[in-house]
Amino acid sequence: MIKIWSMKKENAGVDKKKPKVSAGQIRVQKDLGELDLPKTMKMTFPVPEDLLNFELDISPDEGFYAGGTFKFSFAVNGNYPHDAPSVKCLQKIYHPNIQADGKICLNILREDWKPVLTLNSVMVGLQYLLLEPNADDPLNKEAAEDLRSNRRNFESNVHKSIRGGCVNGVHYDNVMTKK
Amino acid sequence: MFRWHTVAFWEWNSIDSNEVCGICQSPFDACCADCKIPGDQCPLLWGKCKHCFHLHCISKWLETNNEGICPLDRQPFEAAT
Repeated sequence: MIKIWSMKKENAGVDKKKPKVSAGQIRVQKDLGELDLPKTMKMTFPVPEDLLNFELDISPDEGFYAGGTFKFSFAVNGNYPHDAPSVKCLQKIYHPNIQADGKICLNILREDWKPVLTLNSVMVGLQYLLLEPNADDPLNKEAAEDLRSNRRNFESNVHKSIRGGCVNGVHYDNVMTKK
Repeated sequence: MFRWHTVAFWEWNSIDSNEVCGICQSPFDACCADCKIPGDQCPLLWGKCKHCFHLHCISKWLETNNEGICPLDRQPFEAAT
């Protein structure tokens, strides 16, 4: 009998600890419900009960980065959709719009974010960045200059880098899709 | 007759009830994510651009966005009167 009482108490404690569902969380659930991912993208939830922090793998099937699998982390705060999700690239890659530390230059993640955009819009934006790197708005200036001046050379540098090679003395991660 | 049940039903008559607010993605007939009860406590607001949002959703956006633009067309948002 005493055991039952103490269990009850413990359960009550658990109930109290459960955080209130935030407005951001409600919206994330709606976004996730509407998601229809193409076969080039896969989502994973490192902590299954935490919908606000997850990872996205993009494996482009064409373009400079075809053959690689690129990992991004998403962190959504409780003020979503008024704040954009914060997205980082988890690997070190050679890309004009992605810095070695994972910082991404994508307009809808910063100045052009609007609350009518969804997680799907961001995912499509990331995939687009891998298909069409943009030399006009660079974070990695060397890569941007490379792309602008000689597409062929850029292509071979990307080819090298995603296999774990060095470009201009900088070592990049091997991100080739594991078969 | 000893007892009866009454059932009431309401919807905004100014907008298609299947449409959702672009910001919270909840139907206009439901309330924004910060409210519990739909209706007069959580009204709708039209802009001159003819875009409609929950008042609370669009207000919160206009407070955080210093350009004061409609999230759908990027033009300055002005409430329709």
